[in-house]
Amino acid sequence: MDFTLSNEQRAWQMTARKFAEEEIRPTSLERDEIDDPRETFDWEIIKKGSKLGFRTLAVPKEWGGHGTDFVTQALVMAELAKGDSAISKTFSQCWKWSHLIAAACSEEQKRRFLQPFLEDDTFLLGKGISEPSAGSDNRLPPDDPKAGLKLRAERHGDEWILNGEKCFIANASVGKLFFIDARTDPNAPLRQGTTMFLVPRDTPGLRIGKVFNKSGWRFYQNGEMIFENARVPHANVVGAVNGSDMKTHAAGDRTGGDLFGDLELAANALGVCDDACAMALAFARTKTQGGRPLFEQQLIQLKLNRMHLLTEALRAFVMRVAWEHDHKVRSANAGLCMNFSTDVIQEATEINLDLHAGAGVSDRRADKLVRDAIIWSHLAGDSVQRMKATRRLGK
Amino acid sequence: MYNLHLSPEQLQSRDTVREFVAQEIKPLALKAERLEPRARPLLVEALDKASQIGLRTLALPEEAGGAGADNLTCCIVTEELAVGDPDIAAVLAQTSTLAHALFDRLMTQEQCARFLPAFLAEQRYHLALAEHEPDRDTALGINYHRPQASDARFATAAVRAGDTWIINGRKDRVVGASLAALFAVRASVGEDGAGTLLVPRDTPGLGITRSETSWHHGACGALTFENCGVPAENLLTAPLFADAGRAIPLDQALNLGIGRAAYEAAFDYAQLRVQGGRPIIEHQAIGAKLAEIAIRLEVARAAIWQAAWASDHPDAFADRSLPDLPLTTIAAVFASEAIYRAVKDAAECFGAMGVMRDMPLQKYVHDARICLHAGAGNSEAKLRIAEALARYRRPAGAAALAAE
Repeated sequence: MDFTLSNEQRAWQMTARKFAEEEIRPTSLERDEIDDPRETFDWEIIKKGSKLGFRTLAVPKEWGGHGTDFVTQALVMAELAKGDSAISKTFSQCWKWSHLIAAACSEEQKRRFLQPFLEDDTFLLGKGISEPSAGSDNRLPPDDPKAGLKLRAERHGDEWILNGEKCFIANASVGKLFFIDARTDPNAPLRQGTTMFLVPRDTPGLRIGKVFNKSGWRFYQNGEMIFENARVPHANVVGAVNGSDMKTHAAGDRTGGDLFGDLELAANALGVCDDACAMALAFARTKTQGGRPLFEQQLIQLKLNRMHLLTEALRAFVMRVAWEHDHKVRSANAGLCMNFSTDVIQEATEINLDLHAGAGVSDRRADKLVRDAIIWSHLAGDSVQRMKATRRLGK
Repeated sequence: MYNLHLSPEQLQSRDTVREFVAQEIKPLALKAERLEPRARPLLVEALDKASQIGLRTLALPEEAGGAGADNLTCCIVTEELAVGDPDIAAVLAQTSTLAHALFDRLMTQEQCARFLPAFLAEQRYHLALAEHEPDRDTALGINYHRPQASDARFATAAVRAGDTWIINGRKDRVVGASLAALFAVRASVGEDGAGTLLVPRDTPGLGITRSETSWHHGACGALTFENCGVPAENLLTAPLFADAGRAIPLDQALNLGIGRAAYEAAFDYAQLRVQGGRPIIEHQAIGAKLAEIAIRLEVARAAIWQAAWASDHPDAFADRSLPDLPLTTIAAVFASEAIYRAVKDAAECFGAMGVMRDMPLQKYVHDARICLHAGAGNSEAKLRIAEALARYRRPAGAAALAAE
């Protein structure tokens, strides 16, 4: 067992730490407190981070990216999330789908889409799965063809015509390219009747609806995408028609897991937990009651103990999963780690808020971390996500 | 004589207020702008309507012009109101409870004659208690099982000058501060005493600022007193509330209303939302989650009602029907943790819609979180309970303040 980081991994970690401390953290709370969800976004931080490589670090070296391994990616996500969880997610959302481009797109598609992505600091990626009537049914699809996403794609010659609606789509209002799942065979169950398309932002017939006003992760843009006879060339089909779920197979994961996505949420949570622990520890050392630091009180020590032990356990799990990904060790661990990160991030941030509030301090950042952590409930830790991880064990 | 029947009056109060909340409060409270945590103006018109049906004077004895409701009834009503809107529930609970304490127990006839007629006549006449002070923590964390430190007195002080008390100091977390007509201000009085001063809203030297709505319920605010003078006869020397450990558990009754609102929303949604080919309530995972929510709320209500009933029947402690314990503090710790968990679970049933600011679930989570962190928090409450278990008693002077 060796947890030593290579010089390259260490260098990425330090660059991310510095960027998070100097650029992200100072703007984090201010962005969070903007009421209009479209206005929370800040292109300057994206451009600065992009120039440091945080937008493109997952693209393989042979395609002009940084070709970082999963361990590096986990380290960077956690460091960026220490500054702001939602800003970290905005960057890593691009890695998620640049993994997909590298793994599943044809050479011709890579040339068309990966090159502009690499060259443009404001080129963000997104993926559209969720729809108003299809959330859990996309994650654990039943056999019924009527269940799951309904966005329809019909072929007309060299084009596909898309009609329907997506919601909660990440980077919808700021992205330039989206991976869109659409039903190409409405009579087949979801996984046998769905095709993935590359859909540029300026596709005729595609418009962006509202940006959702979330209580946490406010910087991160989740929006509606509305397709009204949107025309997508056949050349933009990813993989095979009716073969949407090939993405995980192409990526080499035969257990049905989302290879990067599960690690992503767990690593991001780790950064938030680190932030919560650091805040709580600093507060306990400096805040006094009756002239003595809070840190001297037994109940305070027990709370600090709890949040640190959970955070360190999560760190060990996250790094193990990242290492397993790098060594192509396949298991249900990524899903389990993501589920676990929900419990850890929520408890750690709640303890941090409790420490502050119990001493009479209304700390806005402590409150923000709790609101950000609640996002994990539906993304990473609801019963569907837990059963999904369990079913990998049962395979 | 173990009896869990509610009286016909209690049942009627519950039904009346439930109907009132459905008709008059919910339609307003569920509007998107009211769901924003950081800027929610009080629903003043709905508050006025609630006052008109007698909820402002609920606990005031009938002979003084109120409804004379007992503490359990007040908790039932507060829960119902909070299902609709916790801010309205908090303001009304505060006014009604203070009216009972002030006009029935603490004021002399002469004092009542000065304040009661206006209170009864004006539906917008609210009462507020100014007790908590910024930067003054009760510090039980360092004084657990030790005599209280000597600086336990209120920093807000009243000094006698002729026929006037001159008050200086600051108070915060004052529920109803933004609309109260009369404040009951806890202060150090004279050399070593403590008392309550009645300070009308328009008194020169009294400054009122509104607090952020995201940290407290009930139109909270902060008060500053700069050489604020009130007549000598505005001093009340008797203790305001006897024992916090056995107080009326109104805060948790309010919290229970928040939990119920979240539960009812999740229950309705689970019957409508279809995933996996059937309404999600028919899936084991969601069914069991709803069951857990119901369990937490029912057990919390049992603890809250027991504490409320005990506050109506102090003799039940004396005859050993009830354990000699701070039942209200016990209910508060259990209920605040159970309800927060229940509300989070209810929000989870909504998936991503559970975190949207134009939807009610995130507000319920936020509201329950306010209750979880109210006062000095549950760690401090547990230390109080632990001292009570061990029958620890502070020396006389310190004990009086520790109980506040």
